[in-house]
Amino acid sequence: MNIENTQSQMRKGILEFCILSVIRRGEAYPSDIVEEMKAANLNILEGTLYPLLTRLKNADMLTYRWVESNSGPPRKYFSLTPKGEAFYGELQATWNELANAVHTLTNNKSVL
Amino acid sequence: MKKIININFHSRVIPIEESAYEILQQYISSLRRYFANEEGRDEIISDIENRFAELFSETLKKGAACITDDDVNTIIASMGRPEEFEGEEAPQPETTTAAGSQQAGAGPNWQYGNAPEEPRRLYRADNDKILGGVCGGLASYLRLDPAIVRIIFVLITFGWGAGFLLYLILWIVLPTRSVPVNARKRLYRNSNDRVIAGVASGLAAYFHIDVWIPRLVFALPLILGIVTSIINHITWWHWYGPSFVTGGFGGTLFITYIVLWIVLPEAVTASEKLEMRGEKVDLESIKNTVKSDLETFKGRAREMGTEMGERFQQVGQQLKQGTQNFAAEAGPVIRKGSNGFGHAIGVLFKAFFLFIAGIITFALITALAAMAFRGDSLLHLKGYVLEGFWQNFLAWTAFFLFLVIPVIALLTWLIRRITGVRTRNHYLGYTFATLWVIGLFCSIVLGGMIMSNFRARQHVEENVPVVQPSHGKMIVHTMENTNRFDDTDFWSDFDFGRNSPFYSIAEDSFLLNTVRVQVRKSDDTAYHVQLIKLSRGSSATRARETANRIEFPVKQNDSVLTLPQGFTISSGDKFRNQQVLVEVAVPVGKRILISRSVENYRWFTVNPNNRHIHWRGGRDNWRSEWDEDIDDNDSYSWSSNVEYVMTPTGLSRTGMDKNGYRFKGKKDNGNDNEEDMYKERAEKPEKAEKAEKPEKAEKPGSNDGYRYKGPGGTAPKATDTTNPKKTALVTEKEEAMIQPYPLLAIFNS
Repeated sequence: MNIENTQSQMRKGILEFCILSVIRRGEAYPSDIVEEMKAANLNILEGTLYPLLTRLKNADMLTYRWVESNSGPPRKYFSLTPKGEAFYGELQATWNELANAVHTLTNNKSVL
Repeated sequence: MKKIININFHSRVIPIEESAYEILQQYISSLRRYFANEEGRDEIISDIENRFAELFSETLKKGAACITDDDVNTIIASMGRPEEFEGEEAPQPETTTAAGSQQAGAGPNWQYGNAPEEPRRLYRADNDKILGGVCGGLASYLRLDPAIVRIIFVLITFGWGAGFLLYLILWIVLPTRSVPVNARKRLYRNSNDRVIAGVASGLAAYFHIDVWIPRLVFALPLILGIVTSIINHITWWHWYGPSFVTGGFGGTLFITYIVLWIVLPEAVTASEKLEMRGEKVDLESIKNTVKSDLETFKGRAREMGTEMGERFQQVGQQLKQGTQNFAAEAGPVIRKGSNGFGHAIGVLFKAFFLFIAGIITFALITALAAMAFRGDSLLHLKGYVLEGFWQNFLAWTAFFLFLVIPVIALLTWLIRRITGVRTRNHYLGYTFATLWVIGLFCSIVLGGMIMSNFRARQHVEENVPVVQPSHGKMIVHTMENTNRFDDTDFWSDFDFGRNSPFYSIAEDSFLLNTVRVQVRKSDDTAYHVQLIKLSRGSSATRARETANRIEFPVKQNDSVLTLPQGFTISSGDKFRNQQVLVEVAVPVGKRILISRSVENYRWFTVNPNNRHIHWRGGRDNWRSEWDEDIDDNDSYSWSSNVEYVMTPTGLSRTGMDKNGYRFKGKKDNGNDNEEDMYKERAEKPEKAEKAEKPEKAEKPGSNDGYRYKGPGGTAPKATDTTNPKKTALVTEKEEAMIQPYPLLAIFNS
């Protein structure tokens, strides 16, 4: 058992949920997503983000549009599709259950 | 001091230090490998590159003169190296094995040398494969260049055939996995040291040999060719030996050079030049690798044992869903787990198709090599068929585009796959395809033009004056060895053999023996010989002209009629399926014998209207349908060296062979009088031909040989009732046969 492995497993599950939450608030540019997550103390490499976004996009959860930028090539801004919205809803429900459970269990109170 | 280059990066011109550019390139290619099995690979990489371009632009906007190593490294650090990525499917080692869990962290090690060394095992390479990844896995295991392993496998496959089997076994047995690609070495063309395109020096750099060796190999046929041609011109003595080298082999090398020229990228950048030389691979390094692996072999063997057990269980399970797994090999989605039965079938299936493709390639190459050898003879033949500039032009275009192009394309493809070279442009394939289609088109047009030259058919009749033979018998035979072009060189070059209608070929003419001898009843009491010369042509007039030019001199010496061996046509005449029909009219009661030498004639008919060629070899051709203006009658059904007599209804045997001896069986018949005999035949003429067969079989004097004719023996039996005298012999035999087989008797009656 190694600690890093377990940590990365824990993070992996919630990564998509977090990314979707950021995008749900409005069209988002990948590096902005990274910044926002960093600000929330959840560090993520851009190199990890791009493949995730592409996979979500290919699964019809996300869509994007090109926006001209004055600092370089046009940027891809991502937004949620209705399917993504539904997916997000389910993730949120699961997360709430999990968070509740974890909270209850870690607060050392007996459930019974 | 650093060199700065301008690159076009996502449609921006970026000034960048050359070393920084190298770092960037390596990073991008490491991403490419990491996402090799990812569906949206190109998009992901394009997104990341886009981000790089944006960050570069920002740096430049801030006033930097160019992008430096540090800039690139900073961006890479924030982007993350592939081994730091966390994703849904960070490739994990196979969970079934305990050894696999030693692999550190997420993501494969790839080429970053500082990654912890894991115990190596033999896998099929998932990420570096041409067929099943066996060679890639072996190369990774042995720390060799995959190209070398592949070349060795190809060699032992063609050498002993064992390579193919070994490959199949390994393919089925080994599990797949992404393996580290350790070859940092590729075939390039060397831009620094070139004579023509740098192929030879690139090969030399790759194999670490002196550059003169590959150069000499490529140049040798050329040099030898020049030398031999000089010798030929000086001494007029043809040197046969090295024509192999200068012909087929030299041609192959030439094509190889051209293909390598097209296939291999030129080593331009510093890293490419390093890649070209690569790591030193020699026997010592292989030995070391094997040695270190042997030390851990014991433990692995045990492991292997348990794992094999597991796998057999898997096979058992998967046998149940065999059909499902058969499709699994095709669909990469389920491929991960399919190691069993269906997998093996899939592998065999795939291998079979590749095998067929290989055979086709081999056949094409052989055909080309044969053409290279026999080229001059084929050129001779070409002159007889083709006419005018356009047809020749089309023929050459069709030859190169339709036949040579696929060979070059296939070789290109093979070399590319073997060496793992990937080019950036797809235009080469399109170019090949387009050229081939043009070639196809040319062949079709050419075929049409040639066919139109055979459209019309005309005949010219010529009466040969005949002196009536004194003994009432005419013997027809052909001249021996006339008109034969006696140059052994041409004979060895173009001998179709006995069954060929092209008897021999000469410098500017060749002998055609599409001749048929036909016997019919004379209208009066004299022998007549008529020649019917036939030819095809683009129009009736031209066909008639060509037919008129056929020279077929018939000589007569009392009873012996001598036909030429064939007729020559010159390249000026062209080959238009010229034919000669010799019609011998025999008056009733007179005899005729056609010598065996006549059977050397070969008759065949090109008929563009029916879109196929009638070509009958041997004796059968005398019975072939005569579909056009010359009417067909029964009289071709003669056998050579048998004497016939003309009856009012057709030919009949006299029972004499060519020496005038009677057949034994005929004596038993008591048919001494030939007049009697043909009268009898006249009563049942349609049976006459069938009755011949038993007579012939009797010659060797074996009764056993008779039996097989039993089931078809209805005809003799029928004759039996109407004409007991003539077929006495036949019925005797029939009865002897029928008795032990009562069933057959029922059949026959």
